[in-house]
Amino acid sequence: MKTAATVKKNRSRRTLSKTDRFTLATFVGIPTLLQIILLWVPAVVTIILSFTYWNGIRLKDIQWAGVQNYKNIFVNNPLFYQALKNNGIWLAFFVLIATPLGIMLAYQIDRGIKGHAFYESIYYLPVVLSLAVIGIIWNFMLQPGGFVQGLMGRDIGNAISIYGDPKINTWVILGIASWRHIGYIMLLYLSGLKSVDPALKEAAAIDGATEWQIFRKIILPTMQPVNIIIVVITLIESLRAFDLVYIIYGSPTIFPLLNLLVFQNFAGQGISMKGAAYAVILLLLCIVPIITYLRISFKEDLK
Amino acid sequence: MSEEKNVVSRRSVLKGAAIGGAALAAGGALTTESASAATRLKGSTVKWTTRGGGATGDKIAKAVNDAFTKKTGAKVVAQQVNSDDFQNNFAQIMQGSPDDAFGWMAGYRSNHFGEMGLLADLTREIYRLKGSLPTAAIKGATSPVSKKPYILPTTYYPWALHYRKSMVKEIGMNPEKIDTWDDFIKLMTLTQKKGLVGYSLGAKGGWEAMGTFDILNARVNGYKYHIDLLNGRAKWTDARTKETFKYFAKLIPFMNENVMDISWDGMRDLLLQKKTGAMMMGSWFANDFKAKSQADYDDLWVVPFPEINPKFGIDTIDAPLDGISVAANGKNVAGGKALAQFWASPEGITEAIKAGDTNIYVSKSFDTSSYDAFNKQKLAVLGSAKNIMFFLDRDARGDFAGPVVGPAIQSFIKKPSDINKILENVQAQWDALPKN
Amino acid sequence: MSTGVVQSEQYRNSQKRKDTFISIFIGIFAFVWIFPILWTVWTSLRPYNEIISYGIFSWPRRLTFDNYINAIQEMEIGKYLLNSLIVTVPSVILTLFFGSLVAFVVTRYQYKFNLTLLLLFTAGNMLPIVLTYIPVFWMFIWVGELFGNRNLLYNNYGGLILVHVGFQVGFATFVLSSYMKTIPKEISESATIDGANVFRHYFNVILPLLRPALAALSVLMTTWIYNEFFWALVLMSDDSKRPITSALRRLQGQYVTDFNLLAAGAIIAAAPTVIMFFILRKQFIAGLTLGSTKG
Repeated sequence: MKTAATVKKNRSRRTLSKTDRFTLATFVGIPTLLQIILLWVPAVVTIILSFTYWNGIRLKDIQWAGVQNYKNIFVNNPLFYQALKNNGIWLAFFVLIATPLGIMLAYQIDRGIKGHAFYESIYYLPVVLSLAVIGIIWNFMLQPGGFVQGLMGRDIGNAISIYGDPKINTWVILGIASWRHIGYIMLLYLSGLKSVDPALKEAAAIDGATEWQIFRKIILPTMQPVNIIIVVITLIESLRAFDLVYIIYGSPTIFPLLNLLVFQNFAGQGISMKGAAYAVILLLLCIVPIITYLRISFKEDLK
Repeated sequence: MSEEKNVVSRRSVLKGAAIGGAALAAGGALTTESASAATRLKGSTVKWTTRGGGATGDKIAKAVNDAFTKKTGAKVVAQQVNSDDFQNNFAQIMQGSPDDAFGWMAGYRSNHFGEMGLLADLTREIYRLKGSLPTAAIKGATSPVSKKPYILPTTYYPWALHYRKSMVKEIGMNPEKIDTWDDFIKLMTLTQKKGLVGYSLGAKGGWEAMGTFDILNARVNGYKYHIDLLNGRAKWTDARTKETFKYFAKLIPFMNENVMDISWDGMRDLLLQKKTGAMMMGSWFANDFKAKSQADYDDLWVVPFPEINPKFGIDTIDAPLDGISVAANGKNVAGGKALAQFWASPEGITEAIKAGDTNIYVSKSFDTSSYDAFNKQKLAVLGSAKNIMFFLDRDARGDFAGPVVGPAIQSFIKKPSDINKILENVQAQWDALPKN
Repeated sequence: MSTGVVQSEQYRNSQKRKDTFISIFIGIFAFVWIFPILWTVWTSLRPYNEIISYGIFSWPRRLTFDNYINAIQEMEIGKYLLNSLIVTVPSVILTLFFGSLVAFVVTRYQYKFNLTLLLLFTAGNMLPIVLTYIPVFWMFIWVGELFGNRNLLYNNYGGLILVHVGFQVGFATFVLSSYMKTIPKEISESATIDGANVFRHYFNVILPLLRPALAALSVLMTTWIYNEFFWALVLMSDDSKRPITSALRRLQGQYVTDFNLLAAGAIIAAAPTVIMFFILRKQFIAGLTLGSTKG
């Protein structure tokens, strides 16, 4: 027998009033509109412009260029390949060294060594600093007249070329970037580790498993979703690397990165739509990590 | 139009003033606004940007702007900006809501943006200042395409060979007689023997080394070839261009190890701390020497880069011309123009010099006999040249100079043996540029 | 059996030694880790003339807070910190608000577009900034001209806030939606039965339950938006309106040789986020992990 309550329940489950639908539309509509206008439309504009010649100032100067910009980049531009190499090295360093270090740090701290909360804070500190501040801090350490130079007894006249020497500067910049990245990864992993059942670890230890085996056979598998998230974050962070290098160098000529090349050629002094082409190439490179991230995060929903 | 009448009548006044050999012109006659413009100015606000310069830059700006306010009743709001960021974002700033007037550079940077409609046409202001500006300066400030000036020329400086007299004496050479290529090499060799740097260069930004390339190319192949090269009428792969780089390679063994690590301020510091023999630089850095001590400033000397090819002698020099520009999109364009004109007028220049500016002004209205020894030498160096270049990144188009030539020279310094490959690439990139 | 026990004892002892060794190592490593920051603080406490006369390694004759006072006065740091505040606070509030709205609709109501929307929002957050910033600039100028005021969005706190919100709302949506999924359906159902309309449903029922997530996210967002320096460089031509992180660029060039002053300025600029991190650590960590580990 249908009671009034059940009828009401059925009705409300199926139909929404007009005001309700309007509210829902606004709730979703405004943020979506904002995103479309501020993110997707500009992205599409950039993509379209990458197929033109233009100096970005007067609309009437736009000329169609087809794939000329791309051809120019791939055929004529040694800086592009240097940038790809640098982005690649950045990626490899993060994936092979920085991220594992962060994971190991998290693991050791999680094992409950004394003062672990203190260490958490210390290692994470660089992450809460603005890159503008980080740039200044490391300048004090590395520039001619800085701490490291002073340690080696060199003043401004014979200072070692840290930022300029291509043999050293890559590692220095990656070191500074890792300084930040490791703390970030560490914290992510730490909280994930808390979800690993300690009883499992104890049981394995009693059975005679070594630390390394426990890590490999128990912890890593349990942390599977976190692992992948971390790899993806590592990928994206290394492709987006810009702020730090812009602060140190200002221009992309000494340590080219894709982002810097976009900036120099899209808005900087060399303004042309070659910058837009660089941006599109960067986007294409980012698509794989982005899609992977989406697939992992929305695994259940996508099924 | 009434304004034209005013201009015509003032022209004769100007002529009179110039001939009268005025040392420092008294206010009135040379700064001209029609009466209505003057009343429009009073009480209005003009915005000014100081491009870098630190505390000294602010001090100079304040002095000139205050004098302008006193004279016209217009308020000036000034800000200082990071010079690199201003330059890097110039196109955006000019299209946005820029300040009305600011210090800028002649050459491509003012011509190009002026032709695009981002800088105000300053024909009238130039006309009013005609009496105090030499023709060459006016020509340098005018766009060859639209024939209009988008900048009021004020200062210029030689990009030439600087060294400290005391250091040259110490190695047994005569600081007043560094004339030939051999002298130059000897200076660097002896300095290097003492454990110091022979020739200092800071190529971190990519543009600094252009000065060395410019002068070498002008010395080896002549002014006309250099300008042709920058505009695509000569080839980078030509044997003559390669010859220039051969001479460039001769300097590399004398350079400081950290070439890629420092910029112009590092070069200045090397000289300030007596750690280097010679360097090619713009003389503006002398302000910092003077700020440190009069003794340091007096020790400074500058000479033209020595002759390499007797066919060309020392007939060319890089003498970048700076000036004041007015943003076309500023809120108060008329005020900006008036302020710019004041900065470029003898009255404004006097204020700047009083506040500590040691740059040389193109203005004819100044009695140069009171210049100190260094500035007199700067004038001599500038005067020794028949042809004036503005510096590669002002003489060549923006999407070529910075993104292509700068990195190419840096690559060359890092690995001179790659020069042929580098030059082929530069030529290919030039060929790929859209030309219309 | 006995050998098993003996083995595990030996194992435990060697473990203890390894543990102490690791503890010491991590401790030393932590010091090295934080050393650059310590060095900057140290530099900021030393008087300028001492360093010039005696070098950077000299034993201090006196330590002073003068550099900080000078930094605040000469570099007008107070003004820039205020700018940071003006930009950061509204950005965070709006981002969280909009993010919660979208997450609410997407998790509480069944619509076909739910997943697509979520995907787009999350992806949007990961786009490289350089892809969009110039067209955004053009757009701001163009809209400004439409309304007769170029400074409507460009060179305006409002414009800067808008871009920050646009960029961060994706992450907020993502995090809040995965959090909201843990809120039982029954709560929403009983609310609808009780006759609540959508607005009430959101405001009175769901929003209060979001408090922990919002707290965590707000700490994270504040740090990210506060630390950001690039947008302000492009969109604010008035140096006096820039947040402290962007202003540091100008100060760095202007005071390049004034190490101590610059160090003090950098420390002051870093202070807000560092202090916030130490006080609100738990929320910080919670915010980070909400998005990456599924509960």
